[in-house]
Amino acid sequence: MINVAVIGFGKLGLLHAGTVSGLAGSRLAVAVDSNKTLLNALKAKMEGTRIYTRHEPLLKDGGIDAAFIATPTGTHVDIALDCVEQGIPIFIEKPLALSGEQARPLVEALEKRPVANMVGYMGRYLDTFAKAKEIVDSGVLGPLEMLRCSMYIGQLFKAGKGWRYDKGVSGGGVLITQNSHVIDKLVWMFGDVDWVSGQTNSLYSTEVEDHAHVFFAFRNGLRGFMDASWSERHYRTPTIAIHVQGRNGTLDVDDDSVRLFLDAKSDAYAEGWSEWRKPDLYRSVPFDIGGPQYTLQAEEFLTAVRGGPNPASDVRSAYAVQCVIDAAYMSAERNGAPIRIAEVMA
Amino acid sequence: MTTSPLVPLVMGHNAFFGVDHLSAQRGAARAASFADPIRILDVIRDGRALGAQGMMMSTHDRAAGLCDLIRSDAALSADLKVYPLLPYAQKYVTRANEVGMVNVVLDSLKGTSFSDKMSLFLQGSRGVLARDVNSVLGALIRLELKPFRGLQMPAVFLHDAFTDLALGLGLKDIFEFYMSELDRAHGAVGAFATKNLPMLLERFDAWGLPTPTVMTHFNKIGFHMNPSREDCEAAAAKYPAHIMAMGTLASGFLRPEEAYGYLGGVKGIESVVVGVSSRAHAEQTFAAIRTHMPVMTGNTVGAV
Ligand SMILES: NC(=O)c1ccc[n+]([C@@H]2O[C@H](COP(=O)([O-])OP(=O)(O)OC[C@H]3O[C@@H](n4cnc5c(N)ncnc54)[C@H](O)[C@@H]3O)[C@@H](O)[C@H]2O)c1
Repeated sequence: MINVAVIGFGKLGLLHAGTVSGLAGSRLAVAVDSNKTLLNALKAKMEGTRIYTRHEPLLKDGGIDAAFIATPTGTHVDIALDCVEQGIPIFIEKPLALSGEQARPLVEALEKRPVANMVGYMGRYLDTFAKAKEIVDSGVLGPLEMLRCSMYIGQLFKAGKGWRYDKGVSGGGVLITQNSHVIDKLVWMFGDVDWVSGQTNSLYSTEVEDHAHVFFAFRNGLRGFMDASWSERHYRTPTIAIHVQGRNGTLDVDDDSVRLFLDAKSDAYAEGWSEWRKPDLYRSVPFDIGGPQYTLQAEEFLTAVRGGPNPASDVRSAYAVQCVIDAAYMSAERNGAPIRIAEVMA
Repeated sequence: MTTSPLVPLVMGHNAFFGVDHLSAQRGAARAASFADPIRILDVIRDGRALGAQGMMMSTHDRAAGLCDLIRSDAALSADLKVYPLLPYAQKYVTRANEVGMVNVVLDSLKGTSFSDKMSLFLQGSRGVLARDVNSVLGALIRLELKPFRGLQMPAVFLHDAFTDLALGLGLKDIFEFYMSELDRAHGAVGAFATKNLPMLLERFDAWGLPTPTVMTHFNKIGFHMNPSREDCEAAAAKYPAHIMAMGTLASGFLRPEEAYGYLGGVKGIESVVVGVSSRAHAEQTFAAIRTHMPVMTGNTVGAV
């Protein structure tokens, strides 16, 4: 039985707690949250779960096999470092940190003392994106040439409140919060980014950007742009769409479907249009709370905790995402001047 | 087994509120076409005339206006069974992102009745929130159900995200409380939406809780059925439960003939909820249900 601590018992913390408890072979052993009201309410409902207001005394007391860190972004790294020091496997919600610079000590600590680690870019487990990745990896599109993608959600139409709009705690606006999912997907599907040019705009917020537009040049030659806003009307839920064109065809993927066009048939795919819709690709999971992607993600992490392979969505890859985001912010400050990722990482 | 609070054929609400699980774009387009609540009322009247006796309705902000319209129609308010689905999570999540979960609860309670407020706030709301989670939940349920007052409301469904969270965490107490609170304060059955039917039915059995009323996905391709379609079918046949099948067309992926050809062979289903976006659409869908599920629909659906 894997005894899990969930640190930060907000929306995502609850989801992870419910998921690990619902899966066979793992259980919620400890809940940590700095909000006492929330904790007391939990205490009344969840006998048998140890409760703490800080993670340090928990780490001293021990008795846990893995930690899920789902606190506000700016606090992830310090908590994770304390866990790594105790040799406790860590799952960290995305984005990993406020910046690449803040994340770097964690990357280094894990190099010295490797423990199972994962960052919560659960979008990789959405069936449509997993299929798109499979198609890209197969090489049928030929050399990749042009990219356009977007992430829209209509959540902010007046100045926002809470930690998400406080740059010191969130790291920035839409680019680093919801849109870090897109950048993770791009790096996952298309590999390392060479340089970016970015523009950002604040519509309703004062400290952070509500709209971001970034041009990417990947090392593999692919080039194109991404547009992201959390103040886009008509979008009830976060909606990601990626379009990529290669020498031999095109690929369109969003949450609902994957559409492939090929000039000629290949071993695995037909000539012309092919389409896969969400129900085509659906895979049942042992237990689902907020979508199968969260379950698949938790299963892969728990497998690593049991000694299996470390998930691909690890701290190292999330650090690379962070550096792309840093470069985009840096470029936006210089009115779109190109910034090399290697420069940010150095 | 207890008497069922479910009618065989229930109209869904998703199309009206812009929810489309297959295509967000199509969802938004549909919502736009239903911007005028009178158009929704027309479709509900058509659906009722074609044999649907019930209507599923989330506690979306626009539900209140729709409830007013239903109340204003004497025939509908007299015999249309309304099944609220609460809470409308999106609303709370958006606000929780701004002010935190605890404050969302406290802010929401500011809108509760005077007596609720007195009993909760006299003692200091934060203290009460911790000490007496159940009375806070009770007040939130009353708040969510306010728009539905005076309508025929045989059962109230808890949103699957909340059911499944409580299920995962093994919170028997929440299930007990929800059922007794709905019964005591609203004269309705406390019912549950879930994406994990076998686990829910197993737990209810193991916990010794009364027969649950459940809304869950049932379709030929196993979309949203966990841990598998076969396990869901086996659980529905094995355990006592009042089951309303949803997602029967797998978000428009299956054609009605194919969908209900499958569903007609599944044991233990008492009711089907299906989205209706127009009269023609309702006619086609209901006809397929009637053909393939004669036992369930009996003469109720056929008798119109
Ligand atoms: N994967 C996704 O799609 C997704 C979606 C939303 C949020 N997130 C990420 O999850 C994390 C949490 O987001 P949320 O929406 O659940 O936030 P939230 O505000 O609902 O929850 C955060 C919780 O952490 C607690 N907390 C704050 N500092 C703490 C500390 N030092 N120690 C212990 N507890 C502390 C707060 O009291 C709060 O209960 C963020 O990093 C966010 O970016 C990911």
